[in-house]
Amino acid sequence: MAIPLKYSIRNLFVRKVSTAMTVFVVCLVVTVFLFVLALWQGVSRTLSVTASDRNIITMRVGSQAEMQSVVTRDSYEMIRSLPGIERSPAGEPYVSPELISLVNLPREDGQNSNVQVRGMAPIGFEMRPGVKILDGRMFTVGTNEAVVSKNLASRFAGMKIGDTIKTGSYRWVVVGHFDASGSAYESEVWTDARDLQGQTKRQIFSSIFVRTSDSEAAARYIEAVKGDQRLKLEGKTEKKYYEEQMVTGAPIKILAILVGIFTAIGASFGAMNTMYAQVAARTREIGTLRAIGFSRRSVLASFIFEALLLCLIGGVIGTALAFVLFNLILTKPTGTMNFRTFSEVLFNFRLTPPLMIGGLVFSLAMGLLGGFFPAARAARLKIINALREI
Amino acid sequence: MKYLRLIWRNVFRKKTRTVLTTSSIVLVLVLIVVLVSLLGAMEADPSQGRGSNRIVVQHATGLGNFLPLSQRQRIEQIPGVVATSPEIWFGGVYKDDKPENFFGQLSCDPDIYFSKIFDDSTMDPEVDKTFQANRNSFVAGKKLEEKFHWKPGDHIILRGTYIPMTLDLVYAGSYRSGDESNIFFSNEVLNQGKWFGANKYTGLYYTKIARAEDIPRVTAAIDRMFENSDAPTKSMTEKQFQLQFMEMMGNVKGLIHGISIVILFAVTLIVANTVAMSARERVTEIAVMRTLGFRRSHILGFILSESVVMSLLGGVLGVILAKYLFIPGMVKGMETTPMAPFLLNFKVTWMVLLAAFGISVGVGVLAGFVPAIRSSQVRIVDGLRQVV
Repeated sequence: MAIPLKYSIRNLFVRKVSTAMTVFVVCLVVTVFLFVLALWQGVSRTLSVTASDRNIITMRVGSQAEMQSVVTRDSYEMIRSLPGIERSPAGEPYVSPELISLVNLPREDGQNSNVQVRGMAPIGFEMRPGVKILDGRMFTVGTNEAVVSKNLASRFAGMKIGDTIKTGSYRWVVVGHFDASGSAYESEVWTDARDLQGQTKRQIFSSIFVRTSDSEAAARYIEAVKGDQRLKLEGKTEKKYYEEQMVTGAPIKILAILVGIFTAIGASFGAMNTMYAQVAARTREIGTLRAIGFSRRSVLASFIFEALLLCLIGGVIGTALAFVLFNLILTKPTGTMNFRTFSEVLFNFRLTPPLMIGGLVFSLAMGLLGGFFPAARAARLKIINALREI
Repeated sequence: MKYLRLIWRNVFRKKTRTVLTTSSIVLVLVLIVVLVSLLGAMEADPSQGRGSNRIVVQHATGLGNFLPLSQRQRIEQIPGVVATSPEIWFGGVYKDDKPENFFGQLSCDPDIYFSKIFDDSTMDPEVDKTFQANRNSFVAGKKLEEKFHWKPGDHIILRGTYIPMTLDLVYAGSYRSGDESNIFFSNEVLNQGKWFGANKYTGLYYTKIARAEDIPRVTAAIDRMFENSDAPTKSMTEKQFQLQFMEMMGNVKGLIHGISIVILFAVTLIVANTVAMSARERVTEIAVMRTLGFRRSHILGFILSESVVMSLLGGVLGVILAKYLFIPGMVKGMETTPMAPFLLNFKVTWMVLLAAFGISVGVGVLAGFVPAIRSSQVRIVDGLRQVV
């Protein structure tokens, strides 16, 4: 027969201070763990969301990022006639020659950061259905106008509509803000490719962005690029390209694991202490319970339940705290360096439901670890010795 | 001092409890030492804080834009400039695309680089001679040499990324400095290739200034000189240059400090809870001690000392474990992960260890304070009356 759950619950509230302290420790540990995980989740999502299997980035063989790649104008003309490319309703092939330039700009907080400026053909905009103009309008070709992401505009100084972005000898007039559904494009400034060529005095492109009709056509196109000896280029799906940049999130993931494991074990030791003290203080009680017929197994279960409950309360509070933190306080996008492009990638902290469940499971694991040994001690007590104890 | 035995005995009265509490301090301290050292490795300062009067001239628009080589002569003519070397970040692929094989690959002018600009690094003069004489040679940080087991005469192949060249370099020897995660080779290697920058452009100018007080004047003079040219510049100290990368990583420092403070607070609570539990169980005993003539201040001292002794035990163990077991193990275990490039400069300084040690004492005092005061305030009659 099981010991009523109420027994465990009530016992938790007998020693208020000790319980509160342990709950608080577990709560802190869970919050820190979720914080780092949400950071990692934010970076990962930014680099994976809305990346399509049908869009192909064509770069020089061996390039890890568009910025490192060089594609000549001749290659661009050759690519336009390759198989697999989809055509727009107007009959134009979905091919956008793009040029990437890195500029150092001041942030709102006074520090500087590298931002990618992407020069593209206007058709490149249509090829990215996740991107929409929120305010203002699209840039006009030949006027050195630019559109910037809403997130970027809120993080960097002087990017309001009508402002001029100035750096070195480059100038762009901001005419619109766009939303890129949280993807890596949120970290970019977009302008016309030929305009950017003019400003940077480079007559080349970095990559050729191509849209294919389906994944089979995508494979056909990638094959065709590979097979053309004159090009010396390779095609990668947009999805694969950004997955490879996920390297950026790896240190954060390792940090999360490191912090998670260490603090969890530390906190479970704290819980273990609390539970041992409970067992010691209630030795007679345990003897009584055993004497009136509860089995060793029931005692074990009861104490483990108590420890689980103790840590779960902490877990729930910690998760709630993280939830409040991310939804009310840390709502502005933050940035980190993308090691592949040397530019800043903007992201939002993301506390997804699986992460929140993870936080609760994490606290239960602490409870199990912290509760098992004290519970086992309680279960092993000899009735006669336990009752003799004062 | 004569009470040390009493305190020691009390610390170990409940062995499981002490072991558990001490272990949680150990865990947290190891974690903090690791985090703080990691931060140090990311901020690796080539001049090791001595500030060696070096400035970096980059394109005003930012890295990734090239500067014409014609600027070199004009920079050299500015009074106060000792020497300047064009430098290009090659960013090639060594062996394969795996992150653990990533390291900084920089071109420089071997004739002046180690003798005049990077003069606070240490290098065997013979190595420098080979480096200057053999234009296809390269030098590497000692740590990097150890990692890849390079021996003088070894060839390495670097496949270019944004510069379309494949380099075949011969190892000359190592250098030692605060940042040993780079290799250097001659600009001439890149000038032999057929790419748009050969003999025309460079990425940066690494420049040595004679006196520290000249730095603001020289940087201003350089930037003014090229302000209206095709390639305006932005000059900054080496430290500011490095800070650029840290700034871009976002608030890593704040993140790590924040995490450290929160978990320190958590561990303080764990210790406080332990001390409070043990003091509560001894209320009667403490009352007896008081009747025997021990003063309130004695009791306060005992409980507080117990807390500090326990934390110190954890601190010492944590520091030893972090330095001799955990960090070497971590560096070894992460050799094949994307973290590898960061770990190259990963070392635990005595400063960090000392700080960790101090922190553990602080935790002990903070945690023991409240229980100690409460125990010392208990009236003798109440203490004797209480049945635990």
